[in-house]
Amino acid sequence: MRKMILVLLIMSVAVISFCAKEVVFWNAWGGDEGKALDSIIDRYNKSQSKVYVRSVYVPIGMGEKIMTTLSGSTTPDVITVWDWMVVPLGYRGQIVPMNDRLAKAGITSSDYIKGVWEYGTYKGKKYGLPTTLNVSAFMWNKNAFKEVGLNPDVPPKTIKELDEFTDKLNKYDKKGALKRLGFDPVISHIYCYVFGGQLWDPATNEITANHQKNIEAYEWLSSYYKKVDLQKKRIFQAGWGDLFSSLNPFLRGEIAMKEGSQWEILIAKKYGKSTFDYGISNFPAPQGGRNDVCNVSGSFWVIPTASKNQDEAFEFLTWLTADKQAAEFAAALYNIPPKIKSLEDNAFKTIVDDKMKIYIDMLMNGYVYTFPMLPIGQAYLTELTQALMDVQLGNKTAKEALDYVQERINQELKNYK
Amino acid sequence: MKRDISFSARSRRREVLMGLLFILPWILGLLIFTLYPVVASFILSFTRTGEGSAIKWVGLDNYITAFREPDFFRAILNTLILSLIGIPVAQIMSLVAALLLNVKMKFQGVFRTIFFLPSVVPAVATGLLWKWILNPRLGPINTFLDSIGLAGPGWLADPAWVKPSLIIMSFWGIGGTMVIYLAGLQNIPTEYYEAAKLDGAGSWACLKYITMPMLRPVTLFNTIMAIITSFQSFSNIIIMLDMDGGMKKAGLVYGLYIYTNAFRDFKMGYSSALAWILLAFTFVSVMLTYKFFNRSGDQEVS
Repeated sequence: MRKMILVLLIMSVAVISFCAKEVVFWNAWGGDEGKALDSIIDRYNKSQSKVYVRSVYVPIGMGEKIMTTLSGSTTPDVITVWDWMVVPLGYRGQIVPMNDRLAKAGITSSDYIKGVWEYGTYKGKKYGLPTTLNVSAFMWNKNAFKEVGLNPDVPPKTIKELDEFTDKLNKYDKKGALKRLGFDPVISHIYCYVFGGQLWDPATNEITANHQKNIEAYEWLSSYYKKVDLQKKRIFQAGWGDLFSSLNPFLRGEIAMKEGSQWEILIAKKYGKSTFDYGISNFPAPQGGRNDVCNVSGSFWVIPTASKNQDEAFEFLTWLTADKQAAEFAAALYNIPPKIKSLEDNAFKTIVDDKMKIYIDMLMNGYVYTFPMLPIGQAYLTELTQALMDVQLGNKTAKEALDYVQERINQELKNYK
Repeated sequence: MKRDISFSARSRRREVLMGLLFILPWILGLLIFTLYPVVASFILSFTRTGEGSAIKWVGLDNYITAFREPDFFRAILNTLILSLIGIPVAQIMSLVAALLLNVKMKFQGVFRTIFFLPSVVPAVATGLLWKWILNPRLGPINTFLDSIGLAGPGWLADPAWVKPSLIIMSFWGIGGTMVIYLAGLQNIPTEYYEAAKLDGAGSWACLKYITMPMLRPVTLFNTIMAIITSFQSFSNIIIMLDMDGGMKKAGLVYGLYIYTNAFRDFKMGYSSALAWILLAFTFVSVMLTYKFFNRSGDQEVS
């Protein structure tokens, strides 16, 4: 009997190794998310005998591991990268465009949430599939609102209100050090869009860093920082704890209003005190601005050009991003699946509560935008951040700073034409 | 005798062959992991990756581009400031530490070990540790300053304090130089001091006219090593700051600039060119140091 089992075992191993093609998949999730992904992959491996997917946990980090592996001749068949890496890698021919394969598989833009299909695309070439989506909304701490006498259920609707609320919510101790920051804008480009500006003109394929509305947004952002002493803010900020812990500054009441992603719902559930109460809404916007701005970011699955099993890899990705699997994986990450039908899938619905609904509503009905995907990596974002700092410190006016970004990035982009 | 010569020639050849065979793994390692990347990066520095993995030959374009980039000059300036202030102060500090630890006393070995220990800590761990030490709100330095009624600076959170923070942190690693100074001190024959004392020299005169000149080669070596290390500093800075070198790019050192260009902006050609510029830069700096030491010295002490 024992011999029989052994023979069977050897035979099955032999069968698998001879028949199934191995697809090596670099996934970027450890912990519970990783386990969830692995169990989805297990199901795929059992569902068919043609392809065996070997999932390896490799955190994305910066580009060095990705660049190194892509430069070699033996690469994994599917890798996970940040959204901003997709176009630089695709442009340099290190990952393959998927347009033809997607068309053949019958996957079209109508399967995806509006605005998401173009995400990770450059000059019509679609270089990867988004894993899940991360959406930013306006978050406010209701306890803090109550404390300063604001109606906890009514977030600011206009920039003017936001400014007033911020003034009320900023709190200092006797020595003048910050105890609570009223509002903490981190992703500055959100406010460019909120003011009605844009970073990129899809019609002309040109960057628009010095768009008049961006300048207005930058002026407002820096005026905001003039109210809160930048130095005090930095010192206060240095004491903030890890977002993924009970030391999260928003959960501890150290920040009253901020941008927050949908995964923070899970963080608040896990680490927030039972008395902690917060609300989520659209971003407040000025007159003539956009009050439905929805910033989307995330990671991508891409196929290296040097992969020898591109067809199998793509087939696996088609399965992995199919409605049901996408829903399951998004639920495990507390992210939003990029496909419309996945939103209706029961696996995802388990995590949809009133708060998550606001995010989904923003995504479905709002002005969805992603940071422009350019072959220059993060250079554009870096320059925008530095420009804001120059304006805040009073070294440059908003116009000067953004004109400089416009000129510099255009100069850089000339190398990619 | 004749037989012996032919025999020894053959055995010599055999010996050489055997020797080569034994060091073959090392030679292969050198060729594959050192020489090949060096040559490859030199060639890459004249190229740019265009659309669709096409590698374009751009001649000296990458080198010319560098001299047009504001960040390139910022990185050089930052690195120079850190080196010009950090290296001399660190040299003096390690020499003082070495002089103190050279004094015969109880637990001499223990003290030497304690001073040397920090330089055993890997750069990444040092970076993490100092990030915490320099935390303006929770770190021990500011907590202490606060307790005696002083407001501590923002350290890494303040662009004006980023470089001082990095310099202070670099003193953490003086253990290595200190040990070399210690070894140098022990090589100075005690007779010189005895003779000087007989002539009525005090300890300051001993230091100035015996110790310092005798240590010249050691100081030269330490300075050159410090220049090379300082020009390449990267790991602890990226841990303590971010990819852009923190606020206002105040900590954007040259190593960080190479790294961000290669692995964040994916410009391999350009960053290879940057690396070669660094080599040239290091070479010139080392030569200048060498010249300076030779000229300012009365006579070379061997």
